[in-house]
Order: sequence, then C-alpha cells, then structure tokens
Amino acid sequence: MKSMKYLVFLKGLAHWNRRLHIHIGLFLLLFIWLFSFSGLLLNHSSWDFASFWEQKKETKTITNISVPKGLDSLQTVKRIMLNLNISGEISNLKMTPDSVDFRVSVPGHIRNLHVDLNKGICVQNEMRYNFWGKIKTLHTFNGANRENPALGANWLVSRIWIFSMDGIAIGLIYLCISSWIMWYNIRENYRWGTIVLITGFAVVIYFLFILGML
Amino acid sequence: MKKYFPHVRTLHLYIGLFLSPLIIIFSISVLVLNHTEFLKQVSPVKVLPDIQTHLDSIPNDTSDLVTAKLIIAKLGIKGEIEYIQRNADQISFPVSLPGLRSIVKVDRHTNEVLITQQNEGSLRATGYLHKMPGPHNVKIRGNSQLIKNWAFWADTFVYLLIFLSASGTFLWYFLKAERSMGTYAIILGVISFTCLLFLLFK
Repeated sequence: MKSMKYLVFLKGLAHWNRRLHIHIGLFLLLFIWLFSFSGLLLNHSSWDFASFWEQKKETKTITNISVPKGLDSLQTVKRIMLNLNISGEISNLKMTPDSVDFRVSVPGHIRNLHVDLNKGICVQNEMRYNFWGKIKTLHTFNGANRENPALGANWLVSRIWIFSMDGIAIGLIYLCISSWIMWYNIRENYRWGTIVLITGFAVVIYFLFILGML
Repeated sequence: MKKYFPHVRTLHLYIGLFLSPLIIIFSISVLVLNHTEFLKQVSPVKVLPDIQTHLDSIPNDTSDLVTAKLIIAKLGIKGEIEYIQRNADQISFPVSLPGLRSIVKVDRHTNEVLITQQNEGSLRATGYLHKMPGPHNVKIRGNSQLIKNWAFWADTFVYLLIFLSASGTFLWYFLKAERSMGTYAIILGVISFTCLLFLLFK
C-alpha cells in the first residue's frame, strides 16, 4: 500500500517536472536567445556587421548647475543627477573640495561628468553605442565596480538586472536537472542517453579540471 | 510538420543531455561573476609561493607574443597569455589556466624570472571559461590550444543551445494539453523581457 502511494507520488512528481520543464523553458526563451546571440557577438569581434566601437557617437555638453556645498560625495552626485535628470550605475567617483568627477553608465550609454562646484558648471562627455553595442553590453552589465568590487551595484535597475540574470541561471540549471529526470523515466527508449550524458560531463571535466593538471 | 516530431524529440533529448553539464557550468559561472564578494568569502583565492628562477637567454628579436610563448615554454608553464607588457627593463604577462593564474616577470637585463601564482579554485574557473575568448586582446587571443579548443566548444554550445530552445518550442507546439499554459509562459517571458529592457534603456 505504502509503495503504491510512493509510486503515485513519483508519477505526480514526474508530471509536474515535465510541465515545469516546458513552461520555464518557454518563459526563458527570449532571455536564452539574447544571451546566446550576445555571447556569439562578444566572442567574434571581427564580425563587421556588429562593430560598434568605431561607430560610437561622442558628444560634449556644458550646463550650468547649482550644487550646495557641504554634502558628502554620494549626496553631491545624487543631487547632480537629479538636476540633470539622469540615472544609471555610478562609478569612478572622485571628489575634491572644488570639483567632482564620476561616470554614469547604462548599457550602451556612458556619461563621464566633471562638475566644477565653485563655478557651477557641469561638463558631460557622452558616449552612445549602436544597437550591437547595446546588445553586447547587456551581456556583461552587472554593475560590478572594478575599482571597489565590495561596493556592488548602486543603481536599482542594475540590481534588478543582476537578480534576473541569477534567476535565468537558476532556471537553466533546473531545466538541465529536470531533463535528466525526464530522460531517466524513458531511458529504455533512449539507450544512448547514458553515453551522451557522460560525454557532456567529460568535456566539462576536461576543461575545468584536467587541463590544469596536464 | 508533425511527422518530424519524433526526430526532433530524439535530437532535443540527446543534444539536451550532452549540453546539460555545459549549461550548468555556464549558469554557475553567471552566479560566480555576479557575486564576486560572496565568492571571496566561500572560496578565497590561494596565493602560492613565489618562484624565482633564471633564463639562459630571452629571444628579444621577435614579437612580444612569440617572446612570451618561448619564455613560458622554457619555464614549463602552460596556459593562455592574457596580455603582454614590455618596456626597456622588463617583460611581464599573466598566463591563465582555468583556476590557476600565473604572472611572469622577466628582467631583460639579468634574465631573472619571478613567477607569482594564485589558485583561484573551480568556481572562478567557470567564470574564466565563461569570459573566454571574449572581446579583449583579440590579436593575441587563442595563443594556447586550450582557448582554441574552448572557443570551438563555446560556439558549438551557443548554436546547440539555440537549436534546443527552437526545437523545444516546436515540440511544445504539438502538445495540445500544454498549449494554453505554454502561451501564457511565453507572454509572461516577453513582458518580463520587455520591461527589463525598458528599465535599462529608458
């Protein structure tokens, strides 16, 4: 009786595993295509159609700005960004009593700002990438601060994007594990599965562990 | 189209099984690259003792890459040379294998060599493979057999992943019982994707 219940439970689990495999896979479809395509672009910089660095647009604008003195660097930067109505990931922040320099980035759009606090002048050097540049930077954009990694992402949208990338990664891991369970249930009909799976693991083990020992 | 269903299903199953360990490695590497500070706590980088040695001669009359390759061949170090810095006094370059990073510094006057190494662990190794070959230092990238082979696998991986997602969609289309729920999943995915891009680019 107990084993019967267990079998029913296993069958139910297999049913839901299959459904989740299908629906999570469909949900992730566009994300998989985005990261696959951008990954190819990053690994093939020589593809002319996707060149972006040479085609980037650079502009320089000078605006008047009033920033109260006596604020700390982060408050100053936030006040400047509010005045300029811009948002993005802040990095490369350097502040002196007379000026503040920082960078504001969103995928495909980088602003380097210099604000003269005495004269109330803000110089913005902007760099805009084309469509391909934006696609490429989406793949690598994780708000990581190279100068101080401990700071992490400081823009809410970066945090949401990182959270989404983590979710996609976990979703993909689930798709893999669920596929093993699905195959195991029908392994009699797909006898090459064991060899194929072992071959896949062998490739990973070779690159990850064996190469370092050779 | 339905006549292709059994063939597509077989291909989807076998290619999926083959690719699954690679997908897991790429997925783990995403978590590794996104959470470097957490990684520092759970898997700190181990700095290995420095190695000091001496070379008989340095082939200074060739390109930087050839010089660096000859140096690591003499030193018995294997891996991908990431970039090369050279001035009148010194030539230095990092050499990487997944999980092991060495920095070689050669004094061009005395031929003295200093090798600093760090064991970065298996988790960072996944991050390293994820980033290779990548868009940087394209002129010298693939200077080791490791990265030449990996570049092939990375491309194959992506093409097969695209096939898997397309074939999965094809298979779902013929499952009548899952059609409505699957449509909702696609719509939800499209909405999430669009909203995220809107937030990033607005």
